[in-house]
Amino acid sequence: MKRYIGMRLVYLLITLFVITTATFFLMKQLPGTPFDEEKLNRLPVEERQLLYASYGLDQPVYVQYVRYLANVVQGDFGTSFTYKNMPVKDIIVNRIGPSALIGLQAVVLGLSIGLILGIIAAYRHNSAWDYFTMFIAVLGVSVPNFVLAALLQYYVGLKWGLLPVAFWDSYENSILPSVALSVGVVAIIARFARNEMLEVLQQDYITTAKAKGLTNMAVVMRHAVRNSLIPVVTILGPIVVNLLTGSLVIENIFGVPGIGSLFVDSIKMNDYSTIMGITIFYSAFYVFIMLIVDILYSVIDPRIRLASGGK
Amino acid sequence: MKKKWSTSLLCLLMLVSLVATGCNFSGDKGSSSAPGGTAPAADGQQAKKESVINLSFENEIKDLNQFSTSDNISFSVLNNVGEGLYRLDEKHEPQPALAQGVEVSADGLTYTFTLRDGVKWSNGDPITAADFKFAWLGAMNPKTSKGGYAFILSDYIKGGAEYASGKGSADAVGIEAKDDKTLVVTLNQPTPYFLRLTTFILYFPLNEKFVTEKGADYALKPENMLYAGPYKLTSFDPASGATLVKNENYWDNANVKVEKINLKVIKEQSTALNAYKAGELDRVMLSSADVDTFKNDPEYTTDIEFRTNYIQFNTKGEGTSNLNIRKALQLAYDATILEQVILNNGSKAATGMIPVQMSGVDHKSFRELQGDLIKADAAKAKEYWEQGVKELGKAPQLKLLVPDDSLSKDLGTFLQSEYKKNLGIDVTVETKTVKARNQQMDEGNYQFGVTGWGADYDDAMTYLDLWANHTPYRGNYENPKYDELIASAKKEVDETKRINMLLEAEKILLTEDAVVSPLFYRGNSFLQKPNVKNLIFHPYGSPVEYKYATVE
Repeated sequence: MKRYIGMRLVYLLITLFVITTATFFLMKQLPGTPFDEEKLNRLPVEERQLLYASYGLDQPVYVQYVRYLANVVQGDFGTSFTYKNMPVKDIIVNRIGPSALIGLQAVVLGLSIGLILGIIAAYRHNSAWDYFTMFIAVLGVSVPNFVLAALLQYYVGLKWGLLPVAFWDSYENSILPSVALSVGVVAIIARFARNEMLEVLQQDYITTAKAKGLTNMAVVMRHAVRNSLIPVVTILGPIVVNLLTGSLVIENIFGVPGIGSLFVDSIKMNDYSTIMGITIFYSAFYVFIMLIVDILYSVIDPRIRLASGGK
Repeated sequence: MKKKWSTSLLCLLMLVSLVATGCNFSGDKGSSSAPGGTAPAADGQQAKKESVINLSFENEIKDLNQFSTSDNISFSVLNNVGEGLYRLDEKHEPQPALAQGVEVSADGLTYTFTLRDGVKWSNGDPITAADFKFAWLGAMNPKTSKGGYAFILSDYIKGGAEYASGKGSADAVGIEAKDDKTLVVTLNQPTPYFLRLTTFILYFPLNEKFVTEKGADYALKPENMLYAGPYKLTSFDPASGATLVKNENYWDNANVKVEKINLKVIKEQSTALNAYKAGELDRVMLSSADVDTFKNDPEYTTDIEFRTNYIQFNTKGEGTSNLNIRKALQLAYDATILEQVILNNGSKAATGMIPVQMSGVDHKSFRELQGDLIKADAAKAKEYWEQGVKELGKAPQLKLLVPDDSLSKDLGTFLQSEYKKNLGIDVTVETKTVKARNQQMDEGNYQFGVTGWGADYDDAMTYLDLWANHTPYRGNYENPKYDELIASAKKEVDETKRINMLLEAEKILLTEDAVVSPLFYRGNSFLQKPNVKNLIFHPYGSPVEYKYATVE
């Protein structure tokens, strides 16, 4: 097990290196500079050159790359071009918080409701419950979350005045965005859990368990649910990464100072250091979550072994 | 088994609360903030209700460091927590602020400012002439200045241009702190609008000792800044907003009526509108789609900025190198349709390069003096086009370069249909990101493109000066007569003569040489709560003043 995790960490580093390198050179192909060219056009050529030089942008791309890599290895991600004096690290740390909070709440909410709905739907197969659940699931997948966000904001925030319309002043502000984000998760999880449960319920060992005289409840809770969780865990990985790293649309609608818009804006503005910082952060996070998912497999299903012969 | 699940659920919940504590809600900083300003102040010791204004920005507050900042939103904050020698009043005229007055030499080249008695930083230190010198030099120093805005000082102050390009020394720059109260500034040429320049953020003072002490952390947090203006920052987060409270050390604080200004970042216009309706904001910008709904509302207002959007012709581009072709393209669309149908947000159809309301001379605006230079005329446009085609030998294939924001895309489609209708030609619209558009224009790789320019100060020179630099971005335009007019206008002491030169220059640029074609002067539509009065929005430079505002 230890050996396996060690190997995976080595792969993680290699993956990060490849992503960093590819992003760096691709990014340099973006047209324009990280500055406001219209303003810069007003400056004499020498002053423009001085400005480029002060950021090391007058060097060939490979020199910039080597310098960047050297800095990153020492934990220095540079300062942003847009937020001119702020270290990229601080910006990411500041803005991941709100995104992670609403993302995590959305995952918890979506997972619990989704599982309950899915399990009930499978247990009461072809009943009104089942149809209702699947209706919710189809609705959740097909209604874009920004439509739902706008509706929540209008009714819950403005018409009924139950929760704040937007902004980020207190914990209350995080509820509506979390709910808006969670609906998609409910839909996906409910469908997965239902289908998987239906399949598991056909298995021989379920029949055996029933034959042994266990109650229906015990069979479902102890044997069926656990085994139907494996595919749910698989899709949960990407969902978690997706939600925790922020949603541009939901954050804009509710005025959440999250990381979702930061990535998009940094690309629009050619903010090199921020693009790189977020790319590295996102990829590291993704690879790390995938590792956790793989480890979780073996916890849930003892038949899955992580490495051949290893324990 | 069950136990295991409940423990993992517990862990998850703990993780949520952990994240919740780590994500700095802006509300729990500072003293009790009444949500939305509608609820009464919570703390009992305050007898009267605290006056609060809640406003929003449509983008992040990117940089509060005076040396490097360059965006309007940061300017909006800085203008109210800092102050220059002069400050713009309700009528956008400069009035003595940290300076009590100025003496200008007869040749208009030397300005001797005397500071007001007893002016203090928010920490109690006196504000001295040396603070101005430090700030101005820093804003020009290529090592510290990173906003591309150094020219706003270095164009005018003697020795500034050399210092800004890294060649001259700081000692040779014409800024002298004679004593604590006297600042002597020497200019390159008489500049009638120099006092207006001193109201701009880059002309504000900075406390050298404090700034040096904070180093790289300067202006990243409220406690890492000193304040000389009517307000000071108590909380600041680039992505969520800022809180300003009255600065008790401000010299004129008796005249600052509103105790607290909450500034929130909200990018989505529909959200801002909902927040306004819910009483969480006191003023909101409307999208053009919402204008018709609110046009007759008593809370509806509009304003106009000193910003002109226009078409830049590349005078070396294929086809657009021909004067008659350019003139045809200039007259073949009707900007009033643009104003009424496409923009519909308070913007006005442009008939020249210099925006309406920009100062001219003798209390007349530049536009009043000049009149309309460009007016749509389909018949004439057609004539010019045919003449141009004859000269070129064939009709040119035209491609219009347009940035990819939704408004500019609509603009491109509008121009395309107008050209089809009035000239019978098919123009291709090439949509590029702003960065890509800028690069293409910088490389001269375009025929004509949509762009714009916002004034840095209230004088026609802020525009006309641009076409004297002969860069591809400005259409590779080069006319000795034009350059001569700009150069002599910069030296001219007589205000009427100077304005006449600029009037002449605008005429050459637009009608004689047809290098640019005006589209519209940008305006905005707002809703504002009737109890909030005297929020002053300037059309240029420092965008807004909270100092004069009142809440009833």
